[in-house]
Amino acid sequence: MIFLSNEVVVFLFIEAVLLLLMSIAFVNTLGILRRWDFGSTSSLQYKLEKRAYLVVLIILFTLGFKVLQLPFFSFTIDKLSAIVPGAMCGAGVITANEYGPLLMSLKVVILFLTGVWLILNDEDLRAKEYPYFKAKFWFFTIIFLFVVIESILDVLYLANISILSPVACCSTIYGAVGGSELPFDLDVTRLLVLFYLLYGLAVITALYRYALISLLSNVLFLYVSYYAVVYFFGTYVYELPTHKCPFCMLQKEYFYVGYLIWGTLFLGTFFGTAGAVLKTIMQKEVHFTYRYSVWFNTIFVLLCSLYVVVFYIRNGVFL
Amino acid sequence: MPNNAFVNFLFLLIYRHRVKHSAIFIISTLIVTLFSSVMLLSNALQKEITSTLSAQPDLIVQKIRSGKAVDTPMEWADGFGEIRGVKSALPRVFGRYFYEPNGYYFTIVGIDPFDTQATEALERLLKGLDVKAFLSQDSMIIGSGVKTFLEQYRYLEHYDFRPPHGGRERVAIFDSFPPESNIVSNDMVIMEIDLAKRILGIDEEMSTDIILTVPNELERDNVMVKLILQHYDIRVIQRDEIAKAYKNLFNYKGGLFLLLYIIVLVTFVLILYQRYSMISSTDRREIGILRAVGWSIKDVIKLKVMESLFVALFAFGLGLLIAYIYVFFFDAPLLGALFFGHGNLPGDLQLGRSIDLGMFSMLFLFFIVPFIAAVLVPVWKIAVVDPVEAMK
Repeated sequence: MIFLSNEVVVFLFIEAVLLLLMSIAFVNTLGILRRWDFGSTSSLQYKLEKRAYLVVLIILFTLGFKVLQLPFFSFTIDKLSAIVPGAMCGAGVITANEYGPLLMSLKVVILFLTGVWLILNDEDLRAKEYPYFKAKFWFFTIIFLFVVIESILDVLYLANISILSPVACCSTIYGAVGGSELPFDLDVTRLLVLFYLLYGLAVITALYRYALISLLSNVLFLYVSYYAVVYFFGTYVYELPTHKCPFCMLQKEYFYVGYLIWGTLFLGTFFGTAGAVLKTIMQKEVHFTYRYSVWFNTIFVLLCSLYVVVFYIRNGVFL
Repeated sequence: MPNNAFVNFLFLLIYRHRVKHSAIFIISTLIVTLFSSVMLLSNALQKEITSTLSAQPDLIVQKIRSGKAVDTPMEWADGFGEIRGVKSALPRVFGRYFYEPNGYYFTIVGIDPFDTQATEALERLLKGLDVKAFLSQDSMIIGSGVKTFLEQYRYLEHYDFRPPHGGRERVAIFDSFPPESNIVSNDMVIMEIDLAKRILGIDEEMSTDIILTVPNELERDNVMVKLILQHYDIRVIQRDEIAKAYKNLFNYKGGLFLLLYIIVLVTFVLILYQRYSMISSTDRREIGILRAVGWSIKDVIKLKVMESLFVALFAFGLGLLIAYIYVFFFDAPLLGALFFGHGNLPGDLQLGRSIDLGMFSMLFLFFIVPFIAAVLVPVWKIAVVDPVEAMK
């Protein structure tokens, strides 16, 4: 029945088209990886080189649209909340069955890998003798495997959402009733201190380009930011101290600000961590990622803080 | 970034191949128009219904006997009103009165002009009613659909209803509602409550159902339990449930169309693939020359992809525009009937103009992704043509 929701049909159709194209690329990749010899002048090598153009073209296209599919997926989930009983926003729908949270995290992981691949490809094409040629194709096979799992989960998840049995609403999941659910026994004040400290650390490590520490601090920053947004900054977005939800802010009532908040957080931490990953793959420093990391993390932190400041100026109290 | 010369060349090329592109452009535009108008229409209707439903009562209580809803005793309302959390409990009287010759019906609504009205919509409709004149004789206020219908049969002053117990009730036409309130009042006939009961055949101390206002959303489930504890033979309908049922129905209709549409889209993509796969000798020579003057395979691919992308985007834009005008300026003739149905007195429907970001991105992805997917392989095939062989 859920298959007959329009957004879901469109979403699955696009996923299927992209998967089909990626399969074509994948089959060609295997051939290239098996018999590639850059020094050879045989006609086979010549043919493979032509084929590589096709593969790169397809990968660029599919991964590009995969990036667009994630916000569209959140939008689809959000729309479903009008159909699934009990759900007020995406939070309830995504936890409607056990595949949901898994699928969501997998999508974020794939988005991360996609970003790394795109940078890798760019660096490869800019260099004269394609130094990362094999690396990027190996990397693609990994992405492809993830995407296959993702597609299976897509179908399993969407097919198993029941429109009869009610799901929980976000205030139940994120504990407006019953105490806070913060990790490490943190309270909100300490969480905020940690949030700003980690932001400082991420900026400093990025400025001085410490790849490994930057990776660590950004991973921690991502983790803490998630809780900070859900349990503190979100309440200012909603202007309601009991409303704790990562999904509601994606809705029109809050001017879709969720896409901006989560988008900048992802981009900031992505560029912060991508530096170290790229360094291992390419054995070479990529500098611009750190700069972007600082920019996006700063936009994210400013945006969140601005909500609190504006609320304070307007109302004279904190929530 | 493509520089000016590149863009210039791109347009020159598109202009040169305008015959080849125009066929694809026209079909693409048609396909986008068809799809967008169905989606826009379904979305607009859903919005319309949601806004109508928000004027509906929170809970409706019906008495059930042997699985069917029967008339509900009016005195129950007093008991319901005492439940904590219930702001008001009002009995309603309404029903369908069939006009046998052609199967149309009027919705008769009984009101007590001195009391608060059951819904805000009714309250608004009846604002400024001259109660004294209204009650001086048996009279009714009719919706514009009913008015047109009665005028057609020359009932200009009054209409003779036939109650189920026999005889006839002559009711004067007091006033009619303006057509702006059509979605609520098109087939409505409003009259005094006792008169309505006589015409509908409802006993003196009975009502059609009882509606409850429960302002606190979280309280509604509790109230439902208490209602059932008071009377076991009732059915309680929540407004949210009705809204979800409607949503499901619309999604169902839209989805059914979508599944059929996907077949069309796949066929179109196959045609596109075939069309772009045919490499003519002029194409070959063109690419050969480009390669010979120093273009790399990458550049040629870029050029060719941009060419298709331009056609696709332009077709998408035009198709969406046509759909928008068709749905919101012309109120979707023909297609509207598919969703709306013609169960009863035909009414004009004014759709609220709206297209949101999510809708737009859905339409965009649904068309652009298959389109570009279809041209990727052909584009590559052209681009890797051997320049020496091409120019022979």
